[in-house]
Amino acid sequence: MPSPFSSVLVANRGEIARRVILACREAGLRSIAVYSDADADAPYVRLADDAVHLGPTPASESYLSIERLLAAAAESGAEAVHPGYGFLSERSAFARAVVDAGLVFIGPTADVMDAMGRKDRARAIAERAGVPVTPQFEIGSVPDDAYPVLVKAAAGGGGKGMRIVREASGLADAIEAAGREAASAFGDDTLLVETYVEAGRHVEVQVFGDTAGTVVHLFERDCSVQRRHQKVVEEAPAVGLTDELRRTLHESSVALCREVGYTGAGTVEFLVADTPDGQRAYFLEMNTRLQVEHPVTEEITGLDLVQWQLRVAAGEPLPLTQDQIVATGHAMEVRVYAEDPYAGFLPQAGHVDAVAWPEGVRVETDLTADAVVSTAYDPMLGKIVVRGDDRESARLAMVSALDDTGVFGITTNVGFVRRLVASAEFAEGRIHTAWLDGDASADLLAAPSVPEAAVRAAARLWSTYDLDERDHVFGSVDGWRSGGEPAPLSIVLTDESGHRWTSRLRPDELADGGELAVVDRDAVTIAWEGQVWALELPDPMRGGHRRGAATDADVVSPMPGTVLRVDVAEGESVELGQHLGVVEAMKMELPLTAPYDGTVSFVGAAVGDQVPIKHVLFTVDPL
Amino acid sequence: MRELVDQLRERLAIVRQGGSEAARTRHLARGKLLPRDRVDRLLDPGSPFLEIGALAAYGMYGGDDDYAVPSAGVIAGIGRVSGRECVVVANDATVKGGTYFPMTVKKHLRAQTIARENHLPCLYLVESGGAFLPMQDEVFPDREHFGRIFFNQAQMSAMRIPQVAAVMGSSTAGGAYVPAMSDETVIVKEQGTIFLAGPPLVKAATGEVVTAEALGGGDVHARTSGVVDHLADDDEHALQIVRSIVGTFERPTSEPPPHEPVPPREDPETLYDVVPVDGRRPYDVREVIRRVVDDSRLHEFKPLYGETLVCGFARIEGYPVAIVANNGILFSESALKGAHFVELANQRGVPLVFLQNITGFMVGQEYENRGIAKDGAKLVTAVASSVVPKFTVVIGGSYGAGNYGMCGRSYDPRFLWMWPNAKISVMGGEQAAAVLATVRRDGMDQRGEEWSAEDEAAFRAPIREQFDDQGSAYYSSARLWDDGIIDPADTRRVLAMGLQLATAVPTPEPRFGLFRM
Repeated sequence: MPSPFSSVLVANRGEIARRVILACREAGLRSIAVYSDADADAPYVRLADDAVHLGPTPASESYLSIERLLAAAAESGAEAVHPGYGFLSERSAFARAVVDAGLVFIGPTADVMDAMGRKDRARAIAERAGVPVTPQFEIGSVPDDAYPVLVKAAAGGGGKGMRIVREASGLADAIEAAGREAASAFGDDTLLVETYVEAGRHVEVQVFGDTAGTVVHLFERDCSVQRRHQKVVEEAPAVGLTDELRRTLHESSVALCREVGYTGAGTVEFLVADTPDGQRAYFLEMNTRLQVEHPVTEEITGLDLVQWQLRVAAGEPLPLTQDQIVATGHAMEVRVYAEDPYAGFLPQAGHVDAVAWPEGVRVETDLTADAVVSTAYDPMLGKIVVRGDDRESARLAMVSALDDTGVFGITTNVGFVRRLVASAEFAEGRIHTAWLDGDASADLLAAPSVPEAAVRAAARLWSTYDLDERDHVFGSVDGWRSGGEPAPLSIVLTDESGHRWTSRLRPDELADGGELAVVDRDAVTIAWEGQVWALELPDPMRGGHRRGAATDADVVSPMPGTVLRVDVAEGESVELGQHLGVVEAMKMELPLTAPYDGTVSFVGAAVGDQVPIKHVLFTVDPL
Repeated sequence: MRELVDQLRERLAIVRQGGSEAARTRHLARGKLLPRDRVDRLLDPGSPFLEIGALAAYGMYGGDDDYAVPSAGVIAGIGRVSGRECVVVANDATVKGGTYFPMTVKKHLRAQTIARENHLPCLYLVESGGAFLPMQDEVFPDREHFGRIFFNQAQMSAMRIPQVAAVMGSSTAGGAYVPAMSDETVIVKEQGTIFLAGPPLVKAATGEVVTAEALGGGDVHARTSGVVDHLADDDEHALQIVRSIVGTFERPTSEPPPHEPVPPREDPETLYDVVPVDGRRPYDVREVIRRVVDDSRLHEFKPLYGETLVCGFARIEGYPVAIVANNGILFSESALKGAHFVELANQRGVPLVFLQNITGFMVGQEYENRGIAKDGAKLVTAVASSVVPKFTVVIGGSYGAGNYGMCGRSYDPRFLWMWPNAKISVMGGEQAAAVLATVRRDGMDQRGEEWSAEDEAAFRAPIREQFDDQGSAYYSSARLWDDGIIDPADTRRVLAMGLQLATAVPTPEPRFGLFRM
């Protein structure tokens, strides 16, 4: 049977666009990338066989515009559309429009999306298929003993429009907020209220159906490490499931898909909790698309899920039967986000000065140096995927991969995730979905201070960074002393908090340790265990290096003049730069400011006083 | 040779400790860095430091204590600061309060000479009580005494060779003029003081009672007197400011090597095995050259003529050099060949390297009658008139007129280094004893007196002893007849450093004195 399509428009951007483009190439299909203004220079655009400009940067005018995407498909002669994940991937309207335009939509049918895309409807179908679900309540009548409950948007997937409510008093606010979020994200403020399962684990089953009605599962994934319902680390298989529950999850997921006539790649998500009655699973939702974390399934099964999508979309049967699909080993994925984990995971934007990804492991990314990350889209920069014979070896491989990762110029979560993956809680598989949002993770979420080893490495890199450009004679760094031991190197660097570090290094310690860093004459930015630290050579001409020490305790009149204002009294605490008073001289008002944080110990004039030059007006004692 | 190198390293290790442990502990307790740490932190991290006169004053001023005034109480040398080579002179206050002994003055002046010849900025880390008063007659009045330091500062400043001082302790009298004469000066807050006369002298002179800080502390000089330009929080900060000052100078003037450096084919450490310590045992000096020059390659000039002097072109760390090396006693032919080659090096603008191992010119009626004196004079004239930079390493003996012809100290080599086995004197101890004994015997013979063999032996022994003692490399280095004793294995490196420094100053057109034909 000839394939119904020979070209694929990839209706997405970034790493997933790249992933699909490469899969198309492997399958002998022409790939067409689309891009907004912001992505004009993105590598995936050049990677594709063809590329079509969609429109301006805002997603609503580019990646979320069905009209423009269809126009791009028509312009480029695309015969199929792969939606990737996010954006329009779960919009039935898009799937429908694609099919109506005479193209193949690589994913389930619009009707199935309609059915499963809504959490309320999906729940009903799941119940029918014998999938375990949580107790649900009417919004207006949540019993007092039901708390905690979860308020969630009936429309859409992911964590948007979700609120946990622990007491009845918080319900109204949560409903209002979740409703508002849901309305803006999905255009539908319908909400569900269910029992909130504390300390649960997020387990999801990868399923695949073909047009002949065959449905298989490709085992499960565990995505329990989440913060505010955004997955951070995913792995496969799931940790600590009983064989019985694992079987239940697989079988009920397949049953659910058969129930709706599911085609293509999908994921059935569950919450697994330990209850007095043993391990229990509760249906969460079904995602009718390829998941971000699909690579961990690929790693344990050795299969290529995008190739499967392409074949199913072409009307071919699934390449393997359930019995032929085997999982071995353990895989783990980390999502690299442009966000600040130590400031409430605030999304970050900016210019990427340099980027280093680990070698020898799977990295899914489209990010390169000089890229500009904007807040217009999802802040995910890439994914690092490792595998091992067992969970612990995969975990250690991930730690080492994160050690070899450095994103410079913008703040990322790499250092944070590295600490997380290295933590005892993660190693022992004790992290549940609410863990990062609770008190137990406080230590992990407290910003670390720069480790001395990182400072020493930075000092070492700085001392040798321009060595290639120097001569061998006076330009060497061996600290040579005639007839004596080489002199150690003494390098002073200040960290972002202003702390001064003096590193003493022996010349024989200068060999390159393979650290990732951006080094120039006055600064070193080093990635240490994934965390990027900015260290600077102190500028001796800038106000002394002991805080406030080179400036005077005395604030004196800069000119002969009249005291116009006195803003502080003796004993008052002041901050660096705070106005202490004003002197008027030569028609100018000269403000007097605190030279550093401290306490005013002396006030030497009153308003209206005539003061000579250098008259001591205030004395500030440093803290 | 290995034992001699070990002995050198031991002695250097002792002088590099500086003053007594008590003095060092006191110094550190005041929050100050030891002077060698100051130097290390002033230099670019990892920069080599070509120290000069590390063994100055060794065996002087202390009776039996060879280490009474280690390094003459001042550290001097050349290292890289903010990317350019500078001369650093750092007083060691743990040694007699950093006061100037005769050798301290001589060393300070020698460092300034190096700075002037190579156009190197001078960085003075000052902490000195001025002249060592008990020896003021040997420190103060003469042309090459204390005043010359300031004369040099003014002269160099006029030549646009920057003069920078950091006052890191008490700087009194002579010590006070170094910062005052500098182009740009730093002082450490509540630690550095500058005054012509300290509080005791002020009290004696005028009866005024004043604290050191009020008399000439950092605050006073930075705010009121204007004697200094920068107020630093502590030693480290002061050194950083000096580094920042050097960063404002014009771009480095020394040049990288014109050729890619190639290491010698023979490990320089094998010099220990090929060079006999006993100066009477002959060996081929080419074995030394092979272990010093790039790729062990020497373009030898006149290899078949005047064979006791080896001349040729080579490279050291990529810098071209013209090498003149003794390979036996100097005959007329060797002297003529040497004169020719030195002239050639000048024509080509190639720096000269002299490897000195010379007992002298050949003596005897035949040689005198053939005019060895005028041939020797030709070599001396050529060397003295040379305009290319010259470097001398005494690798064995340095005796008599051989010292002159082979660019001894009087012939202004940019640097003069000694190997630990080197000997230097007007003639050998044995020869001197014999000469003096002969003169005495002649006198006694005239007076008809008897001189027994035992008496003669007793007469000769102390002379021999005196020459041996005064001829040692340590005796020389203590008196700054040289710039230091080096490990032979470092010869290549030390020469390369000098060659690099020399590139900063253009070579003038050669012009020679009259050669007596």
